[in-house]
Amino acid sequence: MNPAVHLDGITKRFPGVVANDDVDLAVERGSVHALLGENGAGKTTLMNVLYGLYRPTEGTVRLDGEAKSFDSPRDAIDAGIGMIHQHFMLVDPMTVWENVVLGNEPKTWGGLRVDREAAREAVVELSERYGFDVDPDATIAEISVGEQQRVEILKALYRGADVLIMDEPTAVLTPQEVEELYGVFEELTEQGKTIIFISHKLGEALSAADDITVLRDGVNVGTVAADGVTREELAEMMVGREVLMEPATSPQEAGERVLEVTGLSVEDDRGVEAVSDLSFELRGGEILGVAGVDGNGQSQLVEAITGLREAASGEVRYRGESMRGKSRRDRIDRGMAFIPEDRQERGLVMSYDLTENGILGSQHDPPFARVGRLDWGAARDHAESVIEQYDVRPPDAEAEAESLSGGNQQKFIVGREFERDPELVVATHPTRGVDIGSTEFLHDRLLDLRAEGKAVLLVSSKLDEVQGLSDRLAVIHEGEFTGVVDPATVTEEEIGLLMAGESLDDDSVEGAALHDAADDGADAGIGGVGADDEERAGDEEVDA
Amino acid sequence: MRNPLSPAALLEGLTGSSYVRSLIAGTVGVLGLLGVLGFAFPESIAGDLAGIVFSASTGASTARLAAPIVLAGLGGIFAEKSGVINIGLEGLLIISAFVSVYAASVVGVGNAVLGVPALGIAFLAGIAASTFLSAVFAVVCIEFKADQIIAGLAVWLIALGLAPFMSTVFFGGVNTPNLGVSVGWQYSATMVVLATVGSWWLLNRTAFGKHLRAAGENPKALDTVGVSVSKVRYAGVLLSGVLSGVGGSALALSIGQFIGTGETMVQGKGFIAIVAYLFGNYNPVGTLGAGALFAGLDAMQIRLQQLGYAVPDTLVQTIPYVVVIVVLALVGRTQIPEAAGEHYETEE
Repeated sequence: MNPAVHLDGITKRFPGVVANDDVDLAVERGSVHALLGENGAGKTTLMNVLYGLYRPTEGTVRLDGEAKSFDSPRDAIDAGIGMIHQHFMLVDPMTVWENVVLGNEPKTWGGLRVDREAAREAVVELSERYGFDVDPDATIAEISVGEQQRVEILKALYRGADVLIMDEPTAVLTPQEVEELYGVFEELTEQGKTIIFISHKLGEALSAADDITVLRDGVNVGTVAADGVTREELAEMMVGREVLMEPATSPQEAGERVLEVTGLSVEDDRGVEAVSDLSFELRGGEILGVAGVDGNGQSQLVEAITGLREAASGEVRYRGESMRGKSRRDRIDRGMAFIPEDRQERGLVMSYDLTENGILGSQHDPPFARVGRLDWGAARDHAESVIEQYDVRPPDAEAEAESLSGGNQQKFIVGREFERDPELVVATHPTRGVDIGSTEFLHDRLLDLRAEGKAVLLVSSKLDEVQGLSDRLAVIHEGEFTGVVDPATVTEEEIGLLMAGESLDDDSVEGAALHDAADDGADAGIGGVGADDEERAGDEEVDA
Repeated sequence: MRNPLSPAALLEGLTGSSYVRSLIAGTVGVLGLLGVLGFAFPESIAGDLAGIVFSASTGASTARLAAPIVLAGLGGIFAEKSGVINIGLEGLLIISAFVSVYAASVVGVGNAVLGVPALGIAFLAGIAASTFLSAVFAVVCIEFKADQIIAGLAVWLIALGLAPFMSTVFFGGVNTPNLGVSVGWQYSATMVVLATVGSWWLLNRTAFGKHLRAAGENPKALDTVGVSVSKVRYAGVLLSGVLSGVGGSALALSIGQFIGTGETMVQGKGFIAIVAYLFGNYNPVGTLGAGALFAGLDAMQIRLQQLGYAVPDTLVQTIPYVVVIVVLALVGRTQIPEAAGEHYETEE
């Protein structure tokens, strides 16, 4: 029997780059296939070939053994291929059913009227058949991210998709929603659908897929059955060398109190309270991880601490000094480093070169500022040293920030901030968009800072990262810490419950709330391998 | 029913879901109160006001003045819902006002071409001119990705310069001679009502309406389901040209003359149209209500002056703008499309 999808010797070249080099990929009908690889390994390009966005330079796409040639996604859709993008393609103020039928609306009255009843009926029927619990009349803005994803799947199914391509399907989901998604996979494959998903997460590929194909540098390194391979083997296939799966943390004596937050409440742009009466402290030589689903007040908390947003009430004390009324510059001068969430908005000036970007925040200080003028020589040396130490590519201090890929921009920001010699580092998603090798390096640098007695507030949506690095792990939900736990002993399920706003009643919470410097985080288990939430951004730059 | 005039009820109505309904209820309430006062005290200012408001001539002139505002406003909804902010509505009204009068004078009132009477030809010519100008605007904005605001201003300035200039070339003055016929207010009112109902249907019941909304809210979502964002946006902008063309022609033909002095006879009605559809929250019915309200105030102001009240007309003309600032700033209910004003580039 022919495989449902057979990519036969696909090569895709862009000017100066070979994104896919003679890749073979065969996916059986009714199976779940994971396409695993690092940033820029060519996963997204390969799927874009299958979805008709790109024409392969060489090679053939076969569906059920039949050679196909797609000029546009429309052709691919007609051939029964559906794609669910990482960033959902939904219209927020429109209802679920309107989104599902968008572009393929059933019509009456000679096209003058959308047949709402028929459309709604079809959506209800589909969601019942696959056991999706989605209200067809709710607007997209009203439903959860997990439900939005199911709406995307419904869209594909409504268009008659037999093969579903999903790009990083779990990137935006809570652990519970991920479990539900796996349930959806089962339901779909039972009814004969075929699923290919793109991922860089080993655990995800192992638990959700039947088969795993690993891509590296555009080449198929191998296809393996998920139950016949270990996490370490997969990591080695992805990176091409042995990878230290867990950051090696060591016991660390806590130092003086660096940051003290008491009763902090912060409002978001709409005036809604995003952080509610939050209190915690952070000592030198300690990493406090903050985990949670994005949008639960992490941004506002970080902004209030770093001085980008005024607190509604409560206080932030930094090294014993109240930060009330202290500007951003005051805080930088006092040794607060900040790795912002949105690197292009707040981390870099995109049209500046790296020399200029490298002194942002330090432009008032020697050696860069001298009697009212900037010493560009010193600035350049500084940028070059950051580039070298943090392996920023291309290694060119005169390259404009916007010409760098997302991961390299991130490395440059992290380098600049760490080189400030800070007392406190507030890091939000420090390894977002960075590949495994560099992630490992950045994690080591964070641990070096900790060893030097610096305080680190680490906000990340990657559970494995916060769990592996933190001394204490706070879980935030709707602006409140639902628990502060010991990352060495807490399970992923427990964190998931806390992220969903539930509370744990066992003693582990109490125990960990006290500062416990002895945990080494080594059995955090998941491994710091999550590479990237924004692979597409990186890929697009290659493709351009 | 609660008193629609109490501030709390009014504010709740404005911010509530039945925004448009309360807009209309409020207008009716004001008129009702005025009628009662005018009936009770016929000698007071309220009496005069009531006399004006409920006079047939004010009604007729409201219909005349409302036509360009409502029609251009409806057009503006289509453009902006699709993601292209068309602030050139004023220019579209000006060009169609002039071209319609010019066409009528070329054909000659009383004559007909292919069985279509001169005034019919005048309308068609006005619509064609406005649509052509909107097509230029669309190409510049969608194809060449120019800034929509600047391109829209250019449309206005081009029309503002071109229409009086052409009038001078063809008629020897910025004002055209009077045609000697005019289109009755009943026609304007009918066109406005038909266009409002038709627009509402198009926006809310057809697939095109859904596509228009998606193009303005999340064009990528539309693109990925295989509908061309550009085509939808072109359609939206061209519709704004067609509707503005009807409005501009109706304005000029209701007098039978194009007046090109100063800001021309259009006098900012295109900008008030933008205010009207924002005030009406992109709902055609609300736009009709807002347009009628603004036109009614203008008509009243004209009548008051005729009765000898020294009403500063320039001040009355600022009312729509004050209203929009209040609505946008205090109530914040208007839902501007997410991607309005942004260019969209499809992936390969």
